[in-house]
Amino acid sequence: MTNKISRRKFLKVVAGSGVVGFGVMAAGCKGDPSGAQGWIPDQYQGKGDFPVNLKGRVAISQDNPSIERDDEKCILCGQCVEACKNVMGVYGNYPLPLKNEVACVGCGQCTIACPSGAITEKRNIQDVLAAIDDDSKHVVVQTAPATKVSLGEEFGMEPGASVGKKMVGALKEAGFDAVFDTCFSADLTIMEEASEFVHRLTKAKDEIPHLTSCCPGWVKYCEYFYPELMHNLSTCKSPQNMMGATIKSFYAEKKGIKPENIINVSIMPCTAKKFEVGREELQVDDQRDMDYVLTTRELAVLLKHKGIDLNNVAESEYDSVLGESTGAGKIFGATGGVTEAAVRTAYYLATGSNPPADLLSWQPVRGMKAVKEANATIPGVGTVNIAVCHGLENARQLLNGIKEHGSKWQFIEFMACPGGCIGGGGQPKSSEPDIKQKRIAAIYKEDTSSAKRCSHDNTEIQSIYKEFYGKPLSEKAEKYLHTSFVNRHDRLF
Amino acid sequence: MAVLVDITKCIGCEGCSVACKMYNGLDFKAKPRNIKDGHLELDDNRWTVIQEFHTANDDLRFVKKQCLHCLEPACASACFSKAIQKDEKTGAVVYYPDLCVGCRYCMVACPYSIPKYQWNEQFPQVAKCQMCESRLSKGDAPACVSACTTGALISGDRDELIKKAHEIIASDSRYVNHVYGEHEVGGSEWLYISDVPFEELGFKQVSDTPVTNYSKSYLSKVPFFAAGWALFLAGLTYYNHRVEKNKKNQDDENKDKED
Repeated sequence: MTNKISRRKFLKVVAGSGVVGFGVMAAGCKGDPSGAQGWIPDQYQGKGDFPVNLKGRVAISQDNPSIERDDEKCILCGQCVEACKNVMGVYGNYPLPLKNEVACVGCGQCTIACPSGAITEKRNIQDVLAAIDDDSKHVVVQTAPATKVSLGEEFGMEPGASVGKKMVGALKEAGFDAVFDTCFSADLTIMEEASEFVHRLTKAKDEIPHLTSCCPGWVKYCEYFYPELMHNLSTCKSPQNMMGATIKSFYAEKKGIKPENIINVSIMPCTAKKFEVGREELQVDDQRDMDYVLTTRELAVLLKHKGIDLNNVAESEYDSVLGESTGAGKIFGATGGVTEAAVRTAYYLATGSNPPADLLSWQPVRGMKAVKEANATIPGVGTVNIAVCHGLENARQLLNGIKEHGSKWQFIEFMACPGGCIGGGGQPKSSEPDIKQKRIAAIYKEDTSSAKRCSHDNTEIQSIYKEFYGKPLSEKAEKYLHTSFVNRHDRLF
Repeated sequence: MAVLVDITKCIGCEGCSVACKMYNGLDFKAKPRNIKDGHLELDDNRWTVIQEFHTANDDLRFVKKQCLHCLEPACASACFSKAIQKDEKTGAVVYYPDLCVGCRYCMVACPYSIPKYQWNEQFPQVAKCQMCESRLSKGDAPACVSACTTGALISGDRDELIKKAHEIIASDSRYVNHVYGEHEVGGSEWLYISDVPFEELGFKQVSDTPVTNYSKSYLSKVPFFAAGWALFLAGLTYYNHRVEKNKKNQDDENKDKED
């Protein structure tokens, strides 16, 4: 016997296996088709095209400055659609086919709703870290009122823990060159907006109802869906951008720093702010008001990256010239807060004296009711009817009513997120059912414990008007503190 | 079973492509292999993709791309090992990896360049949309269709969907009067309607003649020819054997006689 395979033997094996293979195939043995190796959530099982309550997901375009999504983490649970459609009134409220863009106001409620962490804010942590490490840059940070009552949650503290001063200490430890308080510029906003409102009420009645404009999610919503109401929007920039513009002008001048060497960072409860800072209207003398926005969640990541535990940080005070704030600035973070703060100062502007006690604890505009109504009697001006609305789906229904029947209110506050900024899309996620109420309670506690309750009493505000802006609505104030809006209606309709 | 894609209703959420990857266990991390003119193309881990188009009017349109599941699939006819077969019951053009020899004729044959190859694998397979044949056979919609919330994807009987497509086109003057997939290369299970001309959205202009028609006339004779040839050779062998055997017998007889 030999082990050599003859040519004949080889051909026989090949032909034989061919015949066997053909036989197997012809007999119908084909194995499993490829695919179907994975899983799919229950609402798509079985008759997957049956109607169900929650399914699908929202569209997020690649160039969205506020939010992004990791497809690998998406479980198609439909929670984002629920938030976008039924809470924010965006999804499904524009016609198909699409026009120029994928509608998104950037509110970030989908990031809160997303249970698997697939949708997140578009992160700027690396940009901010790089700026801090760059010695040629003067990095200034400001903190929004709502972040002071929520950042603690990311470090295991009680919901609604007030950590403003600890946050300042942590930010200084992290290497920021100056820490300012957005509550200061909220006071500045109130000075401008209350003056503007009194002006509109007495001299420019066609711009009544006066609609607030400090919420970037709401402003974009108005530009998308209610362009006919754009001239009713307050022309005041948001507190964030008033601060930004003031830092790159007044503060830069005072400190002798070139504005282009300043990096303005803000800590916000908000993802829509990331869109807002990119607006072309929000730059003065070719300088962008703001450079980077970090959400409350991003700040927690940044601090942990730097090894800073908020629990063990020494408390610190905000830096001077743009750091003092009053109770009025602090309540900006809760729904109804802007209204209450504005009325306090409008009362002062009209009468020359501070408002009575009931306007300092104005219950009708507080709380989680979808649309709150109130009226304030201001001597010399008369009775002002006011509405406060939060959640854009609520706003949509309110505005549709106004379009049809006109407005019985002279002043309407809109906040995109339920509960106002304390419920913002950049806030820590929580399983606590009353989280919003607890944060709101913490905000009002900060207000009542403040020595000064009205924006016009802020001494730094008084001196900035004396030294720089002159008076509210002055030419300089118009240049730095006021803005215009863009009609975005035809991008959707 | 067929699917009607109404391009005007797509908002580009890409829920369909995620559902596809989930259901078929595809790799989410795999980097895109093919990007042409800025458009993400299909690859072995992307059996369906959403492509973004900006039209001449600067309108935004999203187009879902996947296997169209032809009525007369060229890939299946090109496959000599029957690894791609059209499922009689569901109409899905299904790939069976166990039968595949890896020749990639299907990739060349497909008029839409749909089948892709697992270039990274040691023992690569072809990859393409299976139309969720395992779901269809139970009467369910494909995973992508069930994940669509805007009504851009509807599944159903092909004739009924074609009727519906023409009704939609007739009722709304914005639509282009063309159901892509009704006649293209003999028709397919996937049908598209759009308000933007299909050429602007990256759809290939193909003939209405099924690709298989070009080769049918002679390829259909191949089995008979092969069988005939085998028979002829067998006969020849038998004849030769016989001649040799007779010759040997004669030689033996002659030898005997000589002895």
